[in-house]
Amino acid sequence: MLRAAHGQQQAQVTKRSWNMLFFSVGGIKLAARTEDVGGISPWVPSIPVPSRTPFVQAMLKRDNLVMPVYDLATRLNCQPLGEPLLCLTARHLDGPMAICIDAEVPTLETVDAAAIRQTGRGDIETLGSITIGGNDVAIVALQRLGQIRQDVARH
Amino acid sequence: MSLRGRNHSTNMSVETASFLIVRLGASCMALPADGVRGVLTKDETGDEQAMTAAGNVYPSIDLAQRLLLIADLSGPDMRTVLYSNGHSHGAVRVTQVVGLADVERKDCFPLPLQFQCDERNWFAGMLLYQDQLVLILNPSWALGGVAAAALVSVAQPEQIFLATSAAVGGPC
Repeated sequence: MLRAAHGQQQAQVTKRSWNMLFFSVGGIKLAARTEDVGGISPWVPSIPVPSRTPFVQAMLKRDNLVMPVYDLATRLNCQPLGEPLLCLTARHLDGPMAICIDAEVPTLETVDAAAIRQTGRGDIETLGSITIGGNDVAIVALQRLGQIRQDVARH
Repeated sequence: MSLRGRNHSTNMSVETASFLIVRLGASCMALPADGVRGVLTKDETGDEQAMTAAGNVYPSIDLAQRLLLIADLSGPDMRTVLYSNGHSHGAVRVTQVVGLADVERKDCFPLPLQFQCDERNWFAGMLLYQDQLVLILNPSWALGGVAAAALVSVAQPEQIFLATSAAVGGPC
């Protein structure tokens, strides 16, 4: 009984704050839950793959690891900035996925769950948004990135 | 007879698949080798659109156009691959023939699930050859047929977790 109560208490504590990773793509500030991020590493040239899936048209190979690339920059109508660019490995529901992000090193921050609004950008999958430094920052739903069909944006 | 003297490796059966590795533009692709009926140079093909070999007509297939690829097919390394899956035949022009390779089945992987559209029909999977990523063409599609079972059997997507250290060399 006591144990169950303790568990509920812990769950409530967990929900009170989110561990977030803040990064940018083409200068656009974005956030993601740290649990949805597999890692950050230097970007390596991707291998083009003939594909009709919007924004999934390349693979990344690092040693013996191979994963699809999600072109978030193109989806946001921008270009990754800086040198050297970085690779964010997203823990997507369909498997790990590489995203090219700006050279600016991402930061980690714990955010009060109450500060997260359930409204986000309409053009990408989000878990909501948060105001940082007076700016709205979308929390990208890395796990389901690409699930909204982007028929208009099809290449 | 001592156990030490036995050579276990000679008795081990390793299931492999043979592929003709080709380059088409910037992409490296593999065709199951059992369907290859011949590889011709530019001099041997001339300007003919369809080739005839051993009584079979091999209509020209513009794979680069079908895959929306930019490929220079005028170079000296250009080859025409005569290919057949038994009931359909085709002459596929490629930028270069890289070579023949025997690949263990466990080194063939399905296309990641994030690829969701026509490409799932274009490619039967992928493999690593000489440290390069190679896409395995679905011969049935390449020869213009409708989606059919690929000649290469690759594991179901859910069986593979590609980007792990066990991905290459793991069960397929």
